[in-house]
Amino acid sequence: MSEWQPRILAILCNWCSYAGADLAGVSRIQYPPSIRVIRVPCSGRVDQLFILKSLQSGFDGVLVSGCHPGDCHYISGNYVARRKFALLKPLLEFIGIEPDRVQFSWISAGEGERFAEVITKITEDVRKLGPSKRLVKKT
Amino acid sequence: MSVEKELRRTVKDLLEEGGIDLFIGWERGSLPTVASPLFITDPVDAERLIFDITCGSNPAVYFTKDRRQFDGRRVGVVLKGCDSRSMVLYIKEKQADRENVVMVGAQCNGVLDRGKVASAAGGREILELEDDGEKTVTLKGRDYEIAVERDSILSSSCLSCIHPDALECDHFIGEPRQSVTREQRLREVREFEALSSTERWERTRHEYEKCIRCYACRNVCPSCYCAVCFVDQNDPPWIGGTCEFTDSMIFHLVRNLHVAGRCVECGACARACPMDIDLLLLNRKVAMEVLERFNDEAGMDITAKPAMADFKEDEKQDFIMG
Amino acid sequence: MRENTARKSVLVLGAGIAGIQASLDLAEMGITVHLVEDTPTIGGRMPQLDKTFPTNDCSMCILSPKMSECIRHPLIKLHIMSSLEGISGEPGDLKCRVIERAKYVDPSKCVSCGLCEEKCPVKLDDVFDVSLRKTKAISRYFLQSIPSEYTIKREHCLYLTKGVCRLCEKVCPTGAIDYEDKDREIELNVGAVILATGIDPFDPISIGQYHYHSSVNVVTALEFERMLSASGPLGGHVVRASDGREPSTLAFIQCVGSRDSGINRNYCSSACCMFAIKQSIIAREHMKELKASIFYMDIRAFGKDFDKYYDKAENKYGVRFTRARVADIIELTDGSLELKYTFENGSIQREAFDMVVLSTGLQPRPETRGLAESLDLKLNDYGFFRSKTFLPLETSRPGVFVCGAANGPKDIPESVVSASGAVAEAAKYLELDRQDPATQEDAPPEQQVTGERPRVGVFVCHCGINIAGVVDVKDVAAMAEGLQNVEHSEDVVYACSTDCLEVIKQRIEEHGLNRVVVAACTPRTHEPLFRETINEAGLNPYLFEMANIRDQCSWAHMEEPELATSKSKDLVEMAVAKSRGLHPLERLPISIDPEALVIGGGLSGMTAALDLADAGHQVYLVEKEDELGGNMRDILFNFDGSDPQEFLGKTIERVQSHKGIRVLTGANIREVNGYVGNFSTLVEDGESRTETLTHGAVIVATGGIEHRTSEYLYGETTRVVTQTEFERMLKDETFPAGRLRNVVMVQCVGSREGERMYCSRVCCSKAVKNALELRKRRAGANIYMACRDIRTYGFSEEYYTELRDGGALVFRYKPDRKPEVELMSPGDPDSRVRVSMIDPVLEKEVVIDADLLVLATAIDAPEDNSVLAKMLKVPLNSDGMFLEAHVKLRPVDFATEGIFVCGLAHSPKDMNESLAQSMAAAARALTFLQKKTILADGTIAEVRKDRCSGCAYCEAVCAYSAIEIDPEEKVAVVNDALCKGCGACVASCRCGALDLRGFSNRQIHAVIGALDIEAVEGVTAT
Repeated sequence: MSEWQPRILAILCNWCSYAGADLAGVSRIQYPPSIRVIRVPCSGRVDQLFILKSLQSGFDGVLVSGCHPGDCHYISGNYVARRKFALLKPLLEFIGIEPDRVQFSWISAGEGERFAEVITKITEDVRKLGPSKRLVKKT
Repeated sequence: MSVEKELRRTVKDLLEEGGIDLFIGWERGSLPTVASPLFITDPVDAERLIFDITCGSNPAVYFTKDRRQFDGRRVGVVLKGCDSRSMVLYIKEKQADRENVVMVGAQCNGVLDRGKVASAAGGREILELEDDGEKTVTLKGRDYEIAVERDSILSSSCLSCIHPDALECDHFIGEPRQSVTREQRLREVREFEALSSTERWERTRHEYEKCIRCYACRNVCPSCYCAVCFVDQNDPPWIGGTCEFTDSMIFHLVRNLHVAGRCVECGACARACPMDIDLLLLNRKVAMEVLERFNDEAGMDITAKPAMADFKEDEKQDFIMG
Repeated sequence: MRENTARKSVLVLGAGIAGIQASLDLAEMGITVHLVEDTPTIGGRMPQLDKTFPTNDCSMCILSPKMSECIRHPLIKLHIMSSLEGISGEPGDLKCRVIERAKYVDPSKCVSCGLCEEKCPVKLDDVFDVSLRKTKAISRYFLQSIPSEYTIKREHCLYLTKGVCRLCEKVCPTGAIDYEDKDREIELNVGAVILATGIDPFDPISIGQYHYHSSVNVVTALEFERMLSASGPLGGHVVRASDGREPSTLAFIQCVGSRDSGINRNYCSSACCMFAIKQSIIAREHMKELKASIFYMDIRAFGKDFDKYYDKAENKYGVRFTRARVADIIELTDGSLELKYTFENGSIQREAFDMVVLSTGLQPRPETRGLAESLDLKLNDYGFFRSKTFLPLETSRPGVFVCGAANGPKDIPESVVSASGAVAEAAKYLELDRQDPATQEDAPPEQQVTGERPRVGVFVCHCGINIAGVVDVKDVAAMAEGLQNVEHSEDVVYACSTDCLEVIKQRIEEHGLNRVVVAACTPRTHEPLFRETINEAGLNPYLFEMANIRDQCSWAHMEEPELATSKSKDLVEMAVAKSRGLHPLERLPISIDPEALVIGGGLSGMTAALDLADAGHQVYLVEKEDELGGNMRDILFNFDGSDPQEFLGKTIERVQSHKGIRVLTGANIREVNGYVGNFSTLVEDGESRTETLTHGAVIVATGGIEHRTSEYLYGETTRVVTQTEFERMLKDETFPAGRLRNVVMVQCVGSREGERMYCSRVCCSKAVKNALELRKRRAGANIYMACRDIRTYGFSEEYYTELRDGGALVFRYKPDRKPEVELMSPGDPDSRVRVSMIDPVLEKEVVIDADLLVLATAIDAPEDNSVLAKMLKVPLNSDGMFLEAHVKLRPVDFATEGIFVCGLAHSPKDMNESLAQSMAAAARALTFLQKKTILADGTIAEVRKDRCSGCAYCEAVCAYSAIEIDPEEKVAVVNDALCKGCGACVASCRCGALDLRGFSNRQIHAVIGALDIEAVEGVTAT
């Protein structure tokens, strides 16, 4: 219990990834209790600033997950989102933020197992990095 | 005929019979190293126009200042390569109508960096600057006159400029210029990428800790024309307004992202920064990603949608967890 | 009175996708629906599917929203585990006898915690997972069943069969088990009945040569689908049942139980080719090294964008397509399977595969026969419900309609189309009143909360032991008590139980709460219920927020109670942070004009116009040509001998004499403005007179045109004609002079290649039809048909068999070696042509001197589609055909509300398919037109004009054309009626000028900043 528990903000789209998370629970698939979830209608709703603010607020990692390409409930919101993430991710890496802290995935409503895998993976990645220091605002 | 002469003649023609109501260019300013913007409606005033190393400001920005001011008028504007990209961007972003703009491109030999000029003059006051477009530029002061290598006083963004000539224009004045290759331009980005993560972080931190949040970079940026910048909004409180490092860093990162696919790489931000922060590096990194991933460069193709207002279904998504 | 209620309700039998669609459409028109379903859940076949072709959409992802919409709709009465036993009475007043079987679990008490299933000692093969998994005697049909309550299978329950056990009763925390439950018979009085009973896969056990029974590594397509499914029994990791090894080679055998007259399956199951292609692609995505082979007779990729998918499988995923018959399978000692297959030329090959998938065909469900008897309905030769040409959705009994695959194999979009179409047909026996949902709701007066300090109430649910067994809910509730603005916090055993909902209402009253947070299960299922509850207590329903501490916490962290508790606390704290920023949202009413505009006066447009006009709506039918009829004027024969021209004549007459239809011929659309319910369209007639029409909906039925080819010497001799010209020739007996000895038909002229990478779908059947007609008129003519694949899908297969049995010769050509033609007497305008092509059986060239060469030319999209698409702001696909909102589940809708598409404007299709689709478009339009107003969702984007710079990025990223830059003001304007609330525009707005109500920037920022991370870090470290 004394082990450090990373806290990861997971921003999930309502129709696929949030539903996938629900399915993981309904199927009783176990994964680390590291994530704190924000439900948004669509990954297209995610402003890059949300991710930066999460890091600043001290979250050790951020996951944004939406519907697979082609599955978006809003037709193309995930494609709009993808362009944003496609720039943010390399930019953060470029300035020296550990790449594993901020990750993106596509998880469908039927992929409970995959949801658990993704959370397990990002938790392990972040655990290896240790508590977030860079870009965290000191209070 | 020199570029300047031809420009004056072209503008005179345009105002007389070319169907434009207004022309935007530069004239000699009160400081010899900084040209002033010039709005002319009378063909006679075309003689006041200049075009040289001192024309650093971007005359296209007036289209974003008050969107009503040009209503019902056909406006001509002289453009360097970077300025033309801004103009194209504005047209794509509905700040201007292509039909109502006459774009006059001019052979750009780069613009000066005032810091470099000041040191070239050894800190002495400069009273006159002569630029005839050749390899050297003459600086004159009270008791001196020196010829300096053009490249030694050029803005660093010009030294690595890949698009010195206006790409989209109705008239072009001068000879198209050889540009550097994309790879040359990205040399610093590549070098930075080769450093370790920790080193990159340390350098970024060192650079951006200098920021005093004066917003000169934003104010001078031709792509920053929001009515109210996000940093000045308090609902929601997008980002802290302090000089605390993470607040500053996030401000700059968001600015990089806001000008993604829109930064015309004019270098105005870096020239404006009083703290000499290397602002170009991150913008170039983003521009490189935009080109590699979305095959788009800001303001290059008037028919293409702006990169961040577009998508392709089968885009590279190497950053998505497998 | 009695008759009135009957005419306002419909019974839908079967709750698969077709039944769900029909129910939703009816309910949206204000009709009460009795949805009767045999199994304990709605959903039908789709939940069993992993992905869907040709977009690889996740089946469950696209279905779930429709399922929850269906269960929540106040006008849909669901009767699960029920059967329709008989119908009496007349259309418009039918009495239906329904038996609801005992469920033995009280759904009002069951909280779906699953303890009963865990403890139940009876293990059974699971039907949903096609026996690949075990289930229990008390269970849910599948994990995401709707309704989610458990039921007992009485024939397997130990207590109900043997009188011992009662374990489920003991463990049930809510006392929901009721062994005394009895079957109930009810009578439902309805205006019409829609059958959507679905279809079964063929059982290959009877086909000995495939060794399905004896080899575990031979599986059916459905079994393979469950294996591929991420939520299936293997979690998407395909392994061989014999040794648990991942297969590296895979063979699909097509037409197992299809196109086989020997077993009375002389029809094509239509979907299996695409199904196999999809499975091969998905399998390849799962297993990068996999080599998949498909053994087939013809690849029938005849639907919209199907051929592109086929091409992708072959060229991008390396799937091997082999035209060969599999004669036998031998199981090898290592469990692999050796296929012996015969090519067209008779040569035989043997090849071993790790696994074999039998692409099993589709057949009527076994219950169909009994149902037909008890309802007095006719079946066709194969046991499907019989429907007729021109009446594709009617059964033999008036007032009883059929949709989905119950009257013949269909894929998902065709099922959805037929479901909506059946609704339009059923509507003829119903009494439709225009509804006014905006004023019908009798909600209590809403409490004013704007400007008041947030007063948050928090309710933490135990969900029995589902949450409380892991999370310390009392601790969580106590923590919440201390949060800023929280006026009240308590833990409750079942937040969703009726008594607890009352408690919530009381607390709102007692503490003057103006925000409510419930920490329980998932908002996806329960948010509507709680919103309704607080609304009943006078709070705007949007002043509610949920923390998901069950599905996403206690159930996922069962072994880590302390960490689950601290996670729950964080989730509650975040929910409270969000709730502080919640605002009451208004659902703005949008008025709906009852008139409709139908663009295109062909069969599709006329059918849609008639259905709308029959339902009482004024219709403007705009046709650019001078007369009605469109392409239908060229259809002169039908397979079954019925007369298309007589039908067309009657249809035109009905349209022209219908009081509700105004026909504008020789007219063109010049401008379309407005949005759902409020369109105005500028129409210009032949004499340049213009007129503005106002209407609430638009149906696009602009048709297609026959491709003008320059191949095969077309135009150089009168003896080379198109199939359409040939059909006219047959009808008028105007054959070229002299004997008609050899007639050659060439298929796919312009289709499936070059700029038309699509199948024109109807040409194979049309060629077969015309060839049979030729044989009737010129018995001696030799018929040669050159094709790539013969695509006589569905019941047209019979006629293809008939043609071949009659001696017609079919040659398959490859696109790189098309038949070659030369003029036999150059210069002669009536020259006969010499056709040479490769005979794949003899593998040598054959030369035919043809008296007539008939070309099956492609169907093109009209060029002016792009002009209309721009005016309507709807998209076209890469072939220039109109692109629907969703290829699977919204096949006649556009993403832009209030605009629909049908007929060839959508994609090539035959007459009956066009009829069904135009009926569907009419029904979909009626779901809007039958309302006086609709309510825009509260969760929509809004603009702060003072911040907007008018850059139009929002306009570019909006998929619904719901936001645009006002040309005068030069700032963004949201159309509340069209906005779906995705927020893509908001996140794309640099200027902060846009925000999304209900998910505002301020709220999300508050949630991100809600947790004091360092402090909590300290707690977890101790």
